[in-house]
Amino acid sequence: MNLTSLVFLFFYLIIFIIYFIVPKKFQWIILSISSFIFLFYHNLSFATISQALIALLSAYLFGILIEKNLENGKSRKFLLFGIGLILIELIYLKYTNLFISTFNYIVRVFHIGSQQSYIYRNSLIGISYYSLIMISYLIDVYRGSCKAQKNIFKCALFMFYFPILTSGPFIRYNDMESELYSGHKFNYHTMCSGLLRICWGIFKVLVISQRLGYFVDGVYNNLALYNGFYVLIAALFFPLQLYTNFSGSIDIIMGISEILGIKLPENFKTPFFSKTITEFWRNWHITLGAWLKDYIFYPLLKSDIMQKLNRECKKIFGKKTGKKIPLYLSMLIMWILIGTWHGGAYTYIIGSGLLQFIFIFLEDILSPIVSKINIKLGINEETFSYKLYQVIRTYLLFSFSMIFFRATSISNAIDIIKNIFVWNPWVLFDHTSLYKTGLDLYNYHILIVSLIAMFVVQLLQRTGSVREKLCKQNIIFRWTIIYILIFSIIIFGCYGPGYDPTTFIYRQF
Amino acid sequence: MEKEQIYERLNKVFRDVFDDEDIVVTDTTTSDDIEDWDSLEHINLIVEVEHEFGIKFNMNEVTTMKNVGDMVNIIQSRISN
Repeated sequence: MNLTSLVFLFFYLIIFIIYFIVPKKFQWIILSISSFIFLFYHNLSFATISQALIALLSAYLFGILIEKNLENGKSRKFLLFGIGLILIELIYLKYTNLFISTFNYIVRVFHIGSQQSYIYRNSLIGISYYSLIMISYLIDVYRGSCKAQKNIFKCALFMFYFPILTSGPFIRYNDMESELYSGHKFNYHTMCSGLLRICWGIFKVLVISQRLGYFVDGVYNNLALYNGFYVLIAALFFPLQLYTNFSGSIDIIMGISEILGIKLPENFKTPFFSKTITEFWRNWHITLGAWLKDYIFYPLLKSDIMQKLNRECKKIFGKKTGKKIPLYLSMLIMWILIGTWHGGAYTYIIGSGLLQFIFIFLEDILSPIVSKINIKLGINEETFSYKLYQVIRTYLLFSFSMIFFRATSISNAIDIIKNIFVWNPWVLFDHTSLYKTGLDLYNYHILIVSLIAMFVVQLLQRTGSVREKLCKQNIIFRWTIIYILIFSIIIFGCYGPGYDPTTFIYRQF
Repeated sequence: MEKEQIYERLNKVFRDVFDDEDIVVTDTTTSDDIEDWDSLEHINLIVEVEHEFGIKFNMNEVTTMKNVGDMVNIIQSRISN
């Protein structure tokens, strides 16, 4: 069930009505039932029910066992066992092909054995999300920062809460406990605010992302036809397509949850204004970054092995350089995991993992040198022009890494990069070439105007909530803006021929 | 151990970790007040504090302490045990 489809709209309307009719103490039951319907809507089979049950029981039972054994030291064993079960299921369902492709590569290179064909398993929607959410839950119980949930249905609601199953964000039990189970009164203001956010999300997905997608797909799927500036533009468009798709779906998710009175953690803060890749990742998929920091990066850095390495490196390389080595090593491990989480293919591991690590590593070691050079050359880093250069540089680096993320294989990514190096700037000015790639002049105009609108909204977002600012405006202006937004979606939304209401890019993860 | 003594030793650790002899921390000092105190340096700081006081923070404490005051309270409770 896609979040921008009519089926979902109808489904959500029914939930909304029942949710606010039943007494507050039963609202969580409505959410649980809705979540189960959502979970199995397209995919009800013995296999998917077993998957859900294994994951749920692993989290539920081991949560209780960990808590019961906190005092006698056995809790660690239960923690590892519970996490192990969740991970085995995740790896089995999502990463088998990563192993097969590695195996096939070895077979090809060393001429041993025979190639294996890929296996496509029928996995539940949201498995990459709920698996990590439940791992964090077990660790939180182990660390004593939350109590184990004794009601299996409440545990299931936390795990499979339907809005987050498509694209996140990652939630923590402590933040969600009162939100999910305590019940909420209907609030007109919250409903309007939530609806506005949903509309903004739909606008981003249907008006901007889909349109960009026509161009990007048109070029990337026909590399024999397109090269040079076509491919360059596609490479520059893709981060915007990904952002509007992903953050747009997050806006819809936050909106539908907000109307039900349930606040979710923010996942984006205007990432394209970032001056470095480090800053970029603080503003992009924030809850994934926070998850990895708390459950992988910190424990890894604090582990005995890393501390020992830290001491040894300090002895050999001196205090300043020495302490950086375990840090970079932990970062490398974390980025490989981020890349792997995005998908069971090396294109993801390189695009959203290794390359990001390399950029951040280079930023860290080069920034003192660059600052010294700038001082010598008299370049002021505080000027608007310098900051603009940094923002553009960050966007270009991210766009480059996303070539791998978007490519179907590493060789495809290399082909795309090679194809960029063809000099054909005339395609930008001959008034016909660019219109053959999936977008005509009319659609370019819509695209440019909507991108400017998004840019203005993002500028406003940097100084606080745009919705609150809008609420403070007088009624005529406020409703004019809202009507423009709604009609833009209706008129300019890309429903396309045989419209399959938006495949969310992040949904596959 | 009195809070003053903890702060005295803590200042030494902070100055050492952040290479700044002028650092003086108080209850309300946060990572915003010290330039290099980012999420990466946080762990180095935690490990040095553990080393100085011969205690162990658990991961929950590491990720939830909001300011130096929180850190001092944990140190004090650990030492008094």
